[in-house]
Parts: sequence; structure tokens; C-alpha cells
Amino acid sequence: MLQYLAKRLLGLIPTLLLVGILVFMLVHLLPGDPARLAAGPDATPETVALVRKDLGLDLPLPQQFLRFVKGAVTGDFGRSMRTKRPVSSEIASRFAPTFWLTVWAMAWSVTIGMAIGIASAVWRNRWPDRVGMTFAVSGISFPAFALGMVLMQIFAVKLAWLPAVGADSWRHYILPSLTLGAAVAAIMARFTRSSFVDILQEDFIRTARAKGLGEPTVVAKHGLRNALIPVVTMMGLQFGFLLGGSIVVEVVFNWPGMGRLLIDAVDMRDYPVIQALVLLFSLEFILINLVVDVLYGVINPTIRYR
Amino acid sequence: MKALFRPVAVAALLAAALGVAPAFAAKDVTFAVASTFTTTDPYDANDTLSQAMAKSFYEGLFGFDKDMKMIPVLAESYEASKDGLTYTIKLKKGIKFHDGTDFRANAVKANFDRVTNPDNKLKRYGLYNNIGKTEVVDDYTARITLKSPFSAFVNQLAHPSGVMISPTALVKYGKDIAFNPVGTGPFKFVEWKATDYLKVAKFDDYWKKGYPKVDALTWKPVIDNNTRAAVMQTGEAQFTYPVPPEMAEVLKAKPDLVVVAAPSIIERYLSMNTQQKPFSDIRVRQAINYAINKDAVAKVAFGGYATPADRIVPAGVEYSVVTGVWPYDIAKAKQLLTEAGYPNGFEAELWSAYNHTIAQKVTQVLQQQLQQVGIKTKITLLEAGQRVEKVESWQDPATAPVRLYYVGWSSSTGEADWALRPLLASEAFPPKLFNTAYYKSDRVDNDIKQALLTTDKAEKAKLYKSAQETIYKDAPWAPLVTEKLLSAHNKKLSGVYTMPDGSFNFTDIDLK
Repeated sequence: MLQYLAKRLLGLIPTLLLVGILVFMLVHLLPGDPARLAAGPDATPETVALVRKDLGLDLPLPQQFLRFVKGAVTGDFGRSMRTKRPVSSEIASRFAPTFWLTVWAMAWSVTIGMAIGIASAVWRNRWPDRVGMTFAVSGISFPAFALGMVLMQIFAVKLAWLPAVGADSWRHYILPSLTLGAAVAAIMARFTRSSFVDILQEDFIRTARAKGLGEPTVVAKHGLRNALIPVVTMMGLQFGFLLGGSIVVEVVFNWPGMGRLLIDAVDMRDYPVIQALVLLFSLEFILINLVVDVLYGVINPTIRYR
Repeated sequence: MKALFRPVAVAALLAAALGVAPAFAAKDVTFAVASTFTTTDPYDANDTLSQAMAKSFYEGLFGFDKDMKMIPVLAESYEASKDGLTYTIKLKKGIKFHDGTDFRANAVKANFDRVTNPDNKLKRYGLYNNIGKTEVVDDYTARITLKSPFSAFVNQLAHPSGVMISPTALVKYGKDIAFNPVGTGPFKFVEWKATDYLKVAKFDDYWKKGYPKVDALTWKPVIDNNTRAAVMQTGEAQFTYPVPPEMAEVLKAKPDLVVVAAPSIIERYLSMNTQQKPFSDIRVRQAINYAINKDAVAKVAFGGYATPADRIVPAGVEYSVVTGVWPYDIAKAKQLLTEAGYPNGFEAELWSAYNHTIAQKVTQVLQQQLQQVGIKTKITLLEAGQRVEKVESWQDPATAPVRLYYVGWSSSTGEADWALRPLLASEAFPPKLFNTAYYKSDRVDNDIKQALLTTDKAEKAKLYKSAQETIYKDAPWAPLVTEKLLSAHNKKLSGVYTMPDGSFNFTDIDLK
């Protein structure tokens, strides 16, 4: 097991290097000159040249790449071209709000989503299934920005129960996490249902029922464990996506997170920030995948790691 | 209502708990603005918003009042030499920076030496590099010598970037001054959390006695239009700008909010590439001017919060003259097109410098109206990076791909030079500046040049009038509208104004 983990972690290095090269090239291929953008609408060519020098964009591309790799290895991603703060502190100050929002959104949406999914599978084609799946389909099809605005209009503007923007207290988390989690809950419900329906038709479930086990035990012990593998995979993927910072939800609720940082960075062609963010997102995905793989073994002990 | 009082109540409770019970409730005001700040250093900022925010803690030698009239701020008076080369500026006495340093002539020297030194790589270098040297005459007199006469120089000093930063702080923080602003302004800097907010608090030793009348100010960037409208209704903010035209009616209906439409010097126009067929033919350019119904543009795209442009340099900018609105006359437009050899019209690219919804609406209205006279346009809304690549930094004027280009401008010095020279002088072809019409008129070039050399106001007015009238006749642009600036504030808040250039004036800010 430990050996497996070490192997996987070592495997990180080439992947990240590849991502690094790709993102560096892609970012420099984007149209638009960051020096011109940073210098602003009424700048003269001399000013643009000064800004270009200041941002280190006057160096040849290979040299810029070397600088980027050298920095990245030591954890120094340079300074943001837009705000001149170190990229690491730009990202650090946004990571926590996005992370906690993701955790809260995942917590409620996975719980509710799985509950709906299980109920729907157990009472397939009966009313709990119909109601549950209606919710799920609406959850997937209702766009997040619309849901966010409706929630804000009702709970912040009309009823004045909750604040509309900011991330200072637990009350600030309620509306954005509801909005962010709605689609995930719906996806989880549908996923759990289909996975469960398949499992409930398996031979070992019939055997369990035949040997006289009560239905709750059959569902919880024999069904759940086996149905969980694809569900956990999906959960990992969703978690990874949300960690990237949902641009829509962060804009609507003015959340000081990474989604907004990414838009600002792309708008201003803030190369160092874009590069660091993309690297961070890939690292998050790889780590989450690793956790998911380990969870497989916990759920199903017959899975072996080598 | 309830939500408005809650934070105040909590703050009061906390204060009581900590044993610092205030004599009266703290007056905290929150401004909800449309984008994040790039920096607190006005010399390194290029966006109006960052400069407007920096006025919380910084002041310049000169400034503008809420109607864009130039007034001395930290300066007492000035005197320009006959040859227009040296400006001697007397300073006000008894002014202190937030760090306790006295405001003296050495501060003037420190600030202008800093921005004119290319090693500091400041974004406003281009605006100030006409300064040759700055000298300290005595403690309260500074003398600035220009490289060449520039009669708009005092206006340039009034530009929101021309502020006085504490010379002590400049030495202490160096490059990090942007994270530790120290000025003479009514508020001192408290905290800047990049995406979330920037906080400032009342400066007790402010030189204007009795000001500011509120205790703290929070600048909160709220990007989304609807969200900005929502925080005004929940009372999480007391002032917001800009208000999108479609939200104006909603906010107007709220009993505790006031929506204000203020005049601006932001002009929106359609520039035509005069070096390229078919726009090289003046009759085609006139035809386009006749074909556009400016009233319709103002009503449809700006929800009525704009006025049809009746001049090249918008009202409110010094030396602007009325040249008249091009009449809307389709028959005349068709006739001119026929004379020019395009009886059935032609096809053309129509680009917009912005990709927001208002620009989308404007270009659609233009497309529909040009269609009426047979000009078929293909709309492209340029994203900032594309705009830079395809328009602003295009190297060779002869091959520039820009044809019809929807864009806008506001003269941040409040003076005609900066409204004409960057946009219509032949020296201003991209990538140097923004003459996207590639318009070249010897008369206009000469007028602009001469006007900068003279300090005689009547003479300047004459030259700028001649330039504007020539431009109107040559029609390198179709001037569209002058925008109105929509802001909203809580009825309890007073003394906050949106200035014609989209900046704010909050000298008299007060909260009931």
C-alpha cells in the first residue's frame, strides 16, 4: 500500500511537467499582448516598452520558460502582472474561501443526492422515484446563475434573512453552497440510482434476500457497498471541478475565490497567475484521483494495490 | 431596513465588549463598484476606478470638483512663465501626511522625480515624461521645468494620477508603496483584501477641518450587475456605480434608494478607416453619418441614458464646441452612396472595442440601420486581448484590418488636447495612440500642435474650434452618443457624486 502511494506520488512529477509545458505554450499563444493590456488605454509606446520590461516579457521565450520552471520547482511562481503581488499569496488568499465552499456544497449535495438516489432505486418506478428524479432533472437543467439570482432575490433582498455577498461568516456560505451543490446533488442522485438499480438485480442480492435477510440490511450492506464504487469516482470528479472555483457562482455571489481570480487573470493575460492556477488544478485532480483509488480499497477489500 | 442596522449593532456590541464604547454610532459607508482594483498607486494605474478609489488617501496639487472644473487642492496658486516652459507652484501650509511627515516642496520633487525616472517602470510614465526637472525653491514653493511648452500642463497635474505620496513612505516602502499607501487625503489606508474589499478610515489630522464626516469607507468590488443591484437593496452597500440601464427602474422603485443620471464626458463613436476603400471616400463616410439614427442608439442600446452626440469633443471638456448632430436622412445617405459608386451598398466589418451587453446592443442597432442603405456589416465584439492585437498594437497603418470600429473615450485631463491628439492627430496612428480612423489632416495636426504651444486661452479656443470643425466636415467618425452615468445611493447618504469622467467625488460624504 505504502509502496503504491509512493509510486503514484512519483508519477506526479512527469505529469505536472507535461502540464507545465503545455500551459506555458498555450498561454503564450493567446492573442493579445499583456504589456499593452497592463499599460492601459491611454499609454504611449514608450510606456508599453517600460511595462514589457517590468513584466520580464522582453526576454526570449525559451529564457522565459526556464525562468518559469526554475521558479516553479522552488515554489516561486513569480508576481502577478496585474497586481504585482506574489502569485503564491494571490492564490493562497483565494484558496480557503473556494475550498470551504466546495466542502460545504459537496457535503450536503452528496448526502441528499445519495439518499434520493437510493430511495429512487429501492422504490423504482413508484412515487419516491418519480419525485426524486423530477428534482434531479430540474437540478441538472436549471442553470446555476439563475438559481443563484433567484435564491438571492428571495432570501437576501425580499426576506433579508441572509447576506447577499461576502464570505465572512457561516451565514454567507448558505446561499452559494446551495447554488453550487444543486447540480452536484442532481448528478449524484441519478448516478446512485442507476448504479443501485444494476446492483439490486445481481445474483448475490437475490441470494441475500433468499437467505432471509431483511430488506434494509440487503440494501445497506450488500447493495450500498457494491454500488458505491462508480459513485465515489463521480464524487471525486465533481469535487475536483468545484475546487477549480465555480466562475458562475463566484461572480453571482461575489465570492472572493479562485474562479474570479482566473477570469481576472485571463482577461488581463496575467501569464504567471494563469500558469500557476492551471498547475494547481491539475495537481488537485491528480491528488483527488489518488484518494478515490485508495477509497476503492476501503469500500471493496478485494481490490489490491500493486 | 433591518439588515442595514444589524452590522452597526454588532459592531457597537463588540466595541462595548472591548471597552471602547464610542460616543455615537460609527458612520461606515460601503461603495459597491464594478471591478477589482489593480493598484493603490495612481502613478501605476491606468483604470479610472483604481484612481478614483485612491482619492480616499491621496490628493494632488490640483484636482477637479464634481463638475470637472479644475481647482487647486494642495497647491495655493501657480504661475506659468511667458515661454510656457516653467511652472512655479506655491503650496498650502500646515498639511500633514498620514505618517506625520509635513507636506513640503520636497514631496513634489520626490513624486515627479519618481514617475519621470524610467527605471521605476510606472504606467503613467508617458503622461509625465514632458517634465524636464522639478526643483525645490523653498519649503513651500516648487518649480517644474518642461522639456517643451505644454499649455495643458496644469490640467495634467490635476489628472487623478498626479498625487502627492509621502516622501518618507516612498523611501521606506520603495516598490511596495502600492500595498502601503500614505498620502494627505481625508482617509488613511487600513486593509486591502484583493478580491474582497479595500478599507480606509478617517484621518484625524486632515487639513480641511471638520472633514471627512464619516468614520470609515469600504470599497467593495461586486462584478455582477444584478448582484450590485441586490446589495443596494439589502443595505450591504450605500453607493453603487455603474447601475446598468435595465436595473435603473427596479432601483428607482425602492423607497430608500435614489438613482442619479449624471452627465459625462464619455463619448461613443464609430471610427472609419479613412485609408481604406470604401471609407477613403468622404461621401461614404458622410452617408454612414446620415444613415445612423443617433436617437435610436441612445434609446435602444443605452435605455435612454445617453444623449445624441452633437460634437467631436464632448461637452464638459474645456474648449469643446457644438458642431451639430448629423441629421438622420436615409435618402441623402443613399444618394451619397450612389455618387460614390456604391448604389447597392457594400459589405464591411464592424468591430466593437468591448464585448459587454451594451456594446452588443449598439452594434446590432448600427448593423440594422446601415442595412437600410445597403451596407451589410459583419459584427465582431473584440475581447480585450484581441482588441490589443488587432487594433491597438497593429504596427503598419497601411495594412490595418480595422474598418468600422465602435469605441469610446473620455479625456481624463478634462481638456481638449487629450480628447483630440490621441484620437485624431496623424501622429497618433496605432500602435502609438488611438487614431483608429487613421485620419490625417494637416490643418487639424497644426491646430493641435499650435494650441499646445500657446498659453493664451482665446488663441487656444480659436485653434481647437478650427480643429473640431474640420474634423466634423471630414467625418472620420460617426459620433454616436454621450453617455450618462447612472449611480444609485441610499437616501441616508449624501455628498457622493459621479464625475463626468466616471471617477467619484466624495469630499462632502456624510451618512445620516
